[in-house]
Amino acid sequence: MHREAIENALFRAGYLAMLAFMLLPLVVVVVTSFEESGQLLFPPETYSLGHYRAFFAETRWLSAFDNSLLVGVGTTVVATTLGVTAAFGHELDDGRAGQLLAPLVLVPLLIPPIILGISMRVYFVRVGMDASYLSIILAHTLWATPLVYFVMRSVFSRFDWQLLDAARDLGAGPIQSFVYAVLPNVKHGIFVGALLAFIVSLQEFVMALFLSNHSTQTIPVVAWKALRQSLDPMVSVVSTFLILISVVGIVIATIATNIEWLSKQLS
Amino acid sequence: MSEITLSGLEKRYGDELAVEDVSVTIDDGELLCLLGPSGSGKSTTLRMLAGLETPTDGDIRIGDEDVTDRPAYERTTATVFQDWALFPNKTVLENVAFGLKMQGVGKEDRHDRAREMLERVRMAEYADDDPMNLSGGQKQRVALARSLAVNPDVLLLDEPLSNLDKRLSEDMQIELREIHAELEETFVHVTHDQDEAFTLADRIGIMADGTLVQVGEPNEVYQNPKNRFIEGFLGDTNFVEGTVERTTPDTVRVETELGRTVGLPTAAADATALEAGDAVTLSLRPEVLSVEPVSAASDDAESSGAVRADGSTTNAVVGTIENVLYRGSTVRYSVVVNGTTVFVERTVGDGSAFDAGDEIRIDWDGADLLAFRDDGSRVDL
Repeated sequence: MHREAIENALFRAGYLAMLAFMLLPLVVVVVTSFEESGQLLFPPETYSLGHYRAFFAETRWLSAFDNSLLVGVGTTVVATTLGVTAAFGHELDDGRAGQLLAPLVLVPLLIPPIILGISMRVYFVRVGMDASYLSIILAHTLWATPLVYFVMRSVFSRFDWQLLDAARDLGAGPIQSFVYAVLPNVKHGIFVGALLAFIVSLQEFVMALFLSNHSTQTIPVVAWKALRQSLDPMVSVVSTFLILISVVGIVIATIATNIEWLSKQLS
Repeated sequence: MSEITLSGLEKRYGDELAVEDVSVTIDDGELLCLLGPSGSGKSTTLRMLAGLETPTDGDIRIGDEDVTDRPAYERTTATVFQDWALFPNKTVLENVAFGLKMQGVGKEDRHDRAREMLERVRMAEYADDDPMNLSGGQKQRVALARSLAVNPDVLLLDEPLSNLDKRLSEDMQIELREIHAELEETFVHVTHDQDEAFTLADRIGIMADGTLVQVGEPNEVYQNPKNRFIEGFLGDTNFVEGTVERTTPDTVRVETELGRTVGLPTAAADATALEAGDAVTLSLRPEVLSVEPVSAASDDAESSGAVRADGSTTNAVVGTIENVLYRGSTVRYSVVVNGTTVFVERTVGDGSAFDAGDEIRIDWDGADLLAFRDDGSRVDL
C-alpha cells in the first residue's frame, strides 16, 4: 500500500470512530426505551414495548407532541417568510441599511436563551400574550429567522439575477417575477431553511420553559419536568420519537434537494 | 410610433457617474448600435431604456409617452440579455411563451404564437427541450424568439453575440439584420465590437466614459470621427505626434516624429488658426499608406509636401521593416521610421512581399490624413 492510501485509511477510521463515539448516546437512548421495568437501565434486562403503550395512553405527552408540532409549524412559516424576504431584499438593495442587516439579524443568536426567555416573559406578560402559542412561536422565530436568512443569502448568491430582470422585462410584476423566475430556482434552499427552522423550534427548551404554561408546553419542557420527578424509560421513548422526526426530516430534505438525481436513478 | 428620445440621461452610483448627459433621438424602425469599450456606460443606458435601472436625471420618451418612471414590466420594450437569461425551470416553448403568459394570453394562443416565433428563428424542433441543454447559438435564438414574442415596440440587445464564437456571431449578425428588416421595429443594440456595429447599424452611437461622443451613420462616423478616441477605437491606425511648424493660407506644415515635415493641404479656418508650436497628432490609417521598395523610389523622395500635378501632396518616408505579421488575407508590416514604429498593410499577392530588415518607402496623400489637437478634438481640415 502506498503511504497516501494508508494515511487516508487511518484518517477515515479515526473519523468513523469519533462519529460512532458521538452517536453512541443516541443508541443508548433508543435501546433504553425498550426496557420493561420502570428504571432507566443500560443494557435493559428485558425488552418490551410497554413504555410505548404507556406513552400513547398518556395525554400529557400526546398534547406536548401536538404543542411542539403547532409551535414548530408556526415558527417555520413565520421564520421562513421573514428570512427569505430579508435575504431577497438584501440582494436587491445592498445599500447601507443592507450592511447593517446581517450583524443585526445575528444578535438573537448571540444572547443567551435564558436572558431572552426571561425578558420575553416579562414583555409578553405586559402585552397580555403570556403563555400563548404565539409567544413561543415568536421566541423561536427570533432564533430561526437568522438561520433561514443566512441559508438564503448563500442560496441567492448563486442565483442568476438576470433571470429576474428577464421576467420583469417580459411583463412580470414584482410578485409574478418572484414566483415565476426566482422561486423555482431557490425552492430547495427555502426547503432546507424551513426544515432548519422547524428542527430548531422542536428542540428549543429554555425559552419554551419560560414562555409556556401547563397547556402549551412543548416536548422538551415536559421531558424536563418528567426527568425531575424520576428517571424512567418514558423519557427515552419521547427522545426516540424526537430523533425519529429529525432523521425523517433530514431524509425528506435529502430526497427533496436531490429530486433530479433521484429521478435519474429511478428512470 | 415608437421613436425614442433620451434627453440629458444620467445614472449615478454613489459618487460614480456611469452615464452622463446622454441625449439622442432614435427613429422609428431604426437599428442603432451603441458602441463603446467596457465601462463606457452603454449597457447602463440600455438598462435604463428597458426600465431595469432608474436614471438619476433626465428622461426617456418612447413614442409620445414619458416612460422614465415606468418599471420594466410596464414598458413596451423587450431585452435580449448577454447571457440570454433563459428560465432553467421551463421548456424552450414555455420560455418563449412567458411574456404572453404575463399578458394574460390563454395557454393555447400563447403556445401557438411561441411556436411561430421558434419557427422564425429555426428552433421549432427544440420546443420541448430543456434550454440548459442547448448550445450558445441555440440559446441565443430562443432568447431572441422570447423577446420578439411579446411584439415589443423596441427590441433591446445587450451584447447578445459576445459569448458566441466568431463565425456564429457573424451569421447571427446577418440574421438580426434580416429580422430587423422584416419587422420594421426599432432595435437598440449594444456592442463593444466595431465590426458588429458596422455590419448591423443604421446609425452608430459611440460611448466613452459615460458620455455619448458621436452619433452618425457608420460611414460618416468612420470618415469623420469627432475626436482622437473614436479614431483609435473604430479601427487600427498609426498616431504620429507632431508640432505645427507654420501655417500658410492653404497648408498646415507639421513637424513629426517621423523626422519629416508633413504638409496638410487645407483652407479651413479651423486649421489655419493653428499656431506654430501647437501640438497635433496625425492619424495615418493603413489604408491610405502606399508601400514600395526603396530601390524603385522616385526622386521626389526629398521633396516632402510637394504638390503633384493632380493637386495631391506627397509625403514619403523611408523605414526598415522590423516585423512581419501574417493575418490571413493581409500582411502587416511594422516599420521603424526615424525611431518611431508605424504599421502598414498589404493584401497578400499584391506586389512583391517584403521581409524583416528590408528598407521600404511609405507614401501617402496629405489630404487623406486626420489631425487632432492636444485635447483630442479633431482639426477640421
